[in-house]
Amino acid sequence: MRMAREFFGNINKNKVMLFMVLPGTLWFLFFSYLPMLGTVIAFKEYRFSRDGFWASIVNSKWVGLDNFKFLFTTNDAYIITRNTLLYNAAFIIVGLVLSVLMAVVLSEIVNKKLAKFYQTGMFLPYFLSWVVVGYFAFSFLSSERGMLNQIMGFFGAESVQWYSEKKYWPLILILVYLWKAVGYNSVVYLAAIMGIDKSLYEAAMIDGASKLQQIRSITLPLLRPILTIMTLLAVGKIFYADFGLFYQVPRNSGTLYSVTNVIDTYVYQGLKSTGEIGMSTAAGLYQSLVGFTLVMFSNYIVRKYDKDSALF
Amino acid sequence: MSSITRKERDFHQLSKPLNVLFNLIAGIFAFLCVFPFLFVVIISFTDEGALARDGYRLFPSKWSLGAYRYVFESGDMLLRSYGVTILVTVLGTIVSLLFMSFYAYAISRKSFRYRNFFSFLAFFTMLFNGGLVPTYIVVTQLLHLKDTIWALVLPLAVNAFYIMILRTFYTTSVPDAIIESGKIDGAGEFRIFLTLVLPLSLPGLATIALFSTLGYWNDWFNALLYIDDPNLVPLQSMLMRIETSMQFLLQNSQNSSLSIEALRSMPQDTSRMAMVVLATGPIIFAYPFFQRYFIQGLTVGAVKE
Amino acid sequence: MSKNKKRLSLVLTSMMALSLALTACGGGSTNNENASGNGGKSEKPVELIWYTIGPPQKDMNMVVDEVNKYIQPKINATLKMNMIDFGDYTQKMQVKVASGEPMDIMFTSSWAFDYVQNARKGAFMELDDLLEKYGKGIKDTIDPAFLEGSKVDGHNYAVPANKELPAQEVWRFNKDLVDKYKLNIDKVDSLESLEPLLKTIKENEPNITPYAMIKDYMPVLPFDYIIEKMPMAVYMDTKDYKVVNILETPELKKSLETVRKYYKAGYISPEVATTTSVDDLYKSSNWFMDRATSQPMADNLWSASYGYPVVSKPASKPYIYNWSVMGSMQAISANSPNPEKAMEFLNLLNTDPVLRNMIDSGIEGVHYEKVGENRMKNLPESKNYDMPTFSLGNIMLNYLNEEDPDDKWEIFKKFNASGVNAPLLGFNFDTSKVSSEIAAVQNVKEEFWAPLMTGTVDPDEYLAKANQKFKAAGLDKIIAEAQSQIDAWKAANNK
Repeated sequence: MRMAREFFGNINKNKVMLFMVLPGTLWFLFFSYLPMLGTVIAFKEYRFSRDGFWASIVNSKWVGLDNFKFLFTTNDAYIITRNTLLYNAAFIIVGLVLSVLMAVVLSEIVNKKLAKFYQTGMFLPYFLSWVVVGYFAFSFLSSERGMLNQIMGFFGAESVQWYSEKKYWPLILILVYLWKAVGYNSVVYLAAIMGIDKSLYEAAMIDGASKLQQIRSITLPLLRPILTIMTLLAVGKIFYADFGLFYQVPRNSGTLYSVTNVIDTYVYQGLKSTGEIGMSTAAGLYQSLVGFTLVMFSNYIVRKYDKDSALF
Repeated sequence: MSSITRKERDFHQLSKPLNVLFNLIAGIFAFLCVFPFLFVVIISFTDEGALARDGYRLFPSKWSLGAYRYVFESGDMLLRSYGVTILVTVLGTIVSLLFMSFYAYAISRKSFRYRNFFSFLAFFTMLFNGGLVPTYIVVTQLLHLKDTIWALVLPLAVNAFYIMILRTFYTTSVPDAIIESGKIDGAGEFRIFLTLVLPLSLPGLATIALFSTLGYWNDWFNALLYIDDPNLVPLQSMLMRIETSMQFLLQNSQNSSLSIEALRSMPQDTSRMAMVVLATGPIIFAYPFFQRYFIQGLTVGAVKE
Repeated sequence: MSKNKKRLSLVLTSMMALSLALTACGGGSTNNENASGNGGKSEKPVELIWYTIGPPQKDMNMVVDEVNKYIQPKINATLKMNMIDFGDYTQKMQVKVASGEPMDIMFTSSWAFDYVQNARKGAFMELDDLLEKYGKGIKDTIDPAFLEGSKVDGHNYAVPANKELPAQEVWRFNKDLVDKYKLNIDKVDSLESLEPLLKTIKENEPNITPYAMIKDYMPVLPFDYIIEKMPMAVYMDTKDYKVVNILETPELKKSLETVRKYYKAGYISPEVATTTSVDDLYKSSNWFMDRATSQPMADNLWSASYGYPVVSKPASKPYIYNWSVMGSMQAISANSPNPEKAMEFLNLLNTDPVLRNMIDSGIEGVHYEKVGENRMKNLPESKNYDMPTFSLGNIMLNYLNEEDPDDKWEIFKKFNASGVNAPLLGFNFDTSKVSSEIAAVQNVKEEFWAPLMTGTVDPDEYLAKANQKFKAAGLDKIIAEAQSQIDAWKAANNK
């Protein structure tokens, strides 16, 4: 009884806040948690029943972990895991550094009109679908008519068969990713910089700090919370690969597979002919679990050092 | 007000060589980003025959408006799609900003007893999802949104990722002292949120609004799933449909019926680029509008101090 | 004051949230009722929901209204037609069917929304009895080989379109170049015999790609594949139905060596292994020859759409494969509340020329006009109603176009009669026991197939490598499973 009273007391005390989270909570309920129940098909051999989805689930037979097997049985399992993790780690680290750099640069440029102009320009790649980006990469890298080979030919270098030379692709993929993502991501940091209290800089000016010193001792430390959050969130997605980047840009070239095959392309290729939704759900669950474990671990570490920046 | 900003600018002045360096860094990167898009525009104005003959060229041997003529032949279809896209984008940005700014504010407040629970509730959805089919069932059979504009708005209305970013913006740019002073003045939580917190976190809100807008503008997948009615198809979805169908027909060209179908209905390279231009153009012109908000947020904040 | 304001805003927000939820619930509820509601009542016309493949058409509703006026007196049913474009069809239908969305008729085939798999997973209604009762016309009109060849585990699950039955591989030539160099294509009968022609073109026309090839290319080999583009097959002339790994056959090795030779000689584009389309070559006429799957009078179609003459030479016999039989079908959904009506409609679609042409070409006088007894001409408005003809049932009911020969359908029938049954016609591999292995093997295939088949890599080295990796991924297990299923099928069918 007392507990109940305490509970309702708490509810009452927090009612405004509870009210504020209500629309979002309802959304999460309908669009995330309710559909999550369907994850059970990862453990089923899904077959249709004419009475709808739930009947189909109930009538399909349990297969235990069979649906997960295709992710682990061959040598490719190692390759796709390695590729996915390494590329994403590179994207997180290099992407972070460059986005922050770009945000600082943009925020400091004296001519604000020019800065705006640059920023708009950096945003354009975001609008091009990977298919279109793929065309451009090709017009650049094509061995016959590609610009890169023409330029290299001009300087007397041997032309390269880009789409069958593995060694260049880790670099190419990272560059293409950065090209597409840095402009978009730097907006977050730019906004964070703009939110910084201007009086801090004024005080530093009076103390005689140079601009670079100000950046180092004011801007960057104050960006730390947002940097931490962005990194933690990215770690959670570390086992998801951007399908378009790894499929369209290398033109699905077989000879490059050992450096371009990632978990998402593997699942796509493997399931496109059989279309087993149990197996694709299993792959998604596996990705989520790995991301979840990693992010809980990193969050635990962040909490130890800086409680306020942690996710929860 | 303008005098205040001017004075500030002086305080912040970058040294000349550093300014040149910064301009170079940003300028070169911006050029690399703009260049391919410029290319898209050029190709869209290239003559189809010239393109097949010489490949992509910066200065095509023959210019043409043919691609746009072809795209506009489907006239009212295109205009309708523009209408749908704009409606969904405006409506969606408003709805999502409301949902997310409330939610993020609540979980940013230390005084909110259940903040950790609701933070986790949001965060968990970033990692785990129910997959396509269960979501489809909820949307079509529980919420009955199929073939309505809400099927394009609601699925994108909340994004845990943005909520987490917003939460961080609230905690970093709104000092606790301000909220406390509001409480001492006797203002309720809502009033504090609307009059004190929102103005201070405008840059953050503008960022999330921008992301939402772009998300809605670029979304094609929800339309692919939930829309059968051709009158409710947004622009990007139409573009994507044409693009994927072309790839599909090409990949299945060993089937004789399909290869003949492909020959008959294949959109040309140039028209596809023209569609990219038409689908991207308006939002690029809308972008400076958001930038103004950044700056405004900044100056409002500065005046408030 | 401030308290009042607070309350007001509270009320406002809650109202907004509520109204959102309400509109959300109210929106599309009409969709579901019609499907379940009027099942048995005979006085009210039944609405049949039909999903089929192709780009959505502007005048669809106008034509469907007209169609409904025509079919309602005949079968007391009306149509609700939905088009889903080629690239989205498989994915969208998979989600719709898996979620149990109400529908009656849907397009299915070997290349989009896979017929055999979905029949086995229970997406379609079994049609044996319905065909007998309501589909008499279908059984009488279409070539019996279609219904026979599209059985899955002994039952029909869809109505195949009456169209070209076998698939024939041909070599196509850019006729202008053939004439210019007075090349003799009559002697072409194998990949090897093409060499002198390719050589002439390569030496004299530096800007022309002699052999226009894409990454999906495969040599014509005497095999019938268990799964398309997977290295397991039986020989075309097999007696014992032994499944072989084609990577270990001399036929493949020889072909690969020839292709490799052509690749090195520059007859094939160096980038063929990543080329998905040579459309730009066709448009600019910068090619000499390629290979394609043909159908009757294809040369005319090709020439007309390229704008210059194309000639072809057969590269294989016309074989009737599972995939060619299942090229275009309409199935009845397992959850259809009105399967009898759906079958009556399909029967009409495959036997009634008025309905078939209306669905295909639109409304007479608006989209097309008749210029002879069964000959028509498209009007300018036809661009608003331009359907993929082959996907909508019996094509031999269609009015002829102005340029078509009088005996167009006779030629089709003759072509169909000339077809030779491939050995595995009627056998459909059930992959459910080996789906993990298939996923792994698919990935190996993507890695090695295109470079090997197009001659981009040296077969001496890579053939063995590929074979090894295929085996590591479980190819042998799949072959063993296929063999046991084929043996059972063979015994059951007295092959």
